[in-house]
Amino acid sequence: MVNGEAYEAKPLESVTALLEEMGIGGRPVVVVLNGEVIPAASWNARGLREGDRVELFRLVGGG
Amino acid sequence: MKRESGGEQMEFQGKGPDAWTVGGHRFSSRLLMGTGKFQDTETMVGAVLASGTQIVTVALRRVGRNPREDDMLGPLGELKGITLMPNTSGARNASEAIRAARLGRELCGSPFVKVEIHPNPHHLMPDPIETFEAAKVLAAEGFVVMPYMPADPVLAKRLEDVGCASLMPLGSAIGSGRGLATAEMLRLILRDARIPVIVDAGLRSPSEAAAALEMGCDAVLVNSAVAASGDPVAMAAAFAQAVGAGRNAHRAGLMPQGGGTALATSPLTAFLSVEGS
Repeated sequence: MVNGEAYEAKPLESVTALLEEMGIGGRPVVVVLNGEVIPAASWNARGLREGDRVELFRLVGGG
Repeated sequence: MKRESGGEQMEFQGKGPDAWTVGGHRFSSRLLMGTGKFQDTETMVGAVLASGTQIVTVALRRVGRNPREDDMLGPLGELKGITLMPNTSGARNASEAIRAARLGRELCGSPFVKVEIHPNPHHLMPDPIETFEAAKVLAAEGFVVMPYMPADPVLAKRLEDVGCASLMPLGSAIGSGRGLATAEMLRLILRDARIPVIVDAGLRSPSEAAAALEMGCDAVLVNSAVAASGDPVAMAAAFAQAVGAGRNAHRAGLMPQGGGTALATSPLTAFLSVEGS
């Protein structure tokens, strides 16, 4: 699940690969996996399993 | 700016407004800018640069279905000397705001957070109770907490006591352009505050920003007033001038106000009539 919506991804894919597939590789985002923030340094190493809940946040304009 | 005539007064003029400190961080600009509502990134960046601001607010959102669209904040990160301050807009209570603040810190790498909790979309008035609870927790976690708050001197004192770095009372409703409707309450807050007071919402014109600084506010935060103006880049520059003028006027001290009778500026001695005739 990515941001509450079902997302098909190959198992064992890294967080980095997920971001690439979504077209936001290299963009500043915060990755929250099952309620926990995953630091960018761990994105390559951390694989994704079925049932994982991924939340992605980014900055937008605001007052 | 160097001037030949020297002298204390001229030196004061040339220096522009004095620096100020919030949460142990020193800034020379007293104008904070929001980044919402701009037509495009180029205009937003142009306005930020023209404003001379050093603190810029941003919001946090979930990455949507079309994540490629608008990465308007990319260029902001490349500007030197600008501190990004994520806000917690969208949070309806303290726990959501605390979560947003922690995520914002991850993204911005900045300890600054604008705590903003306004559950009612009609008036967007800040919830004083949830704002207080969130501010207390975040200040204890080491954030530089800048709460968007009602212009309430009692709440102001309570927020100061739990370790907020500044107070950000509203001038009028967010985006309303109704100016300093809370002026009397702002004066009460200013009377006792020991931390910077920043008027956060409702300003429309540079003269209102100047008035806020004249009355003793340390800074103002504007967004709609610039973004929704006819020429955002020019308006940002106008706000910068107004804020500088207001601050310098506050430091200089306004003249005493008269009680309805005139006090002549020029000598009233006889001129056209012959003295003693």
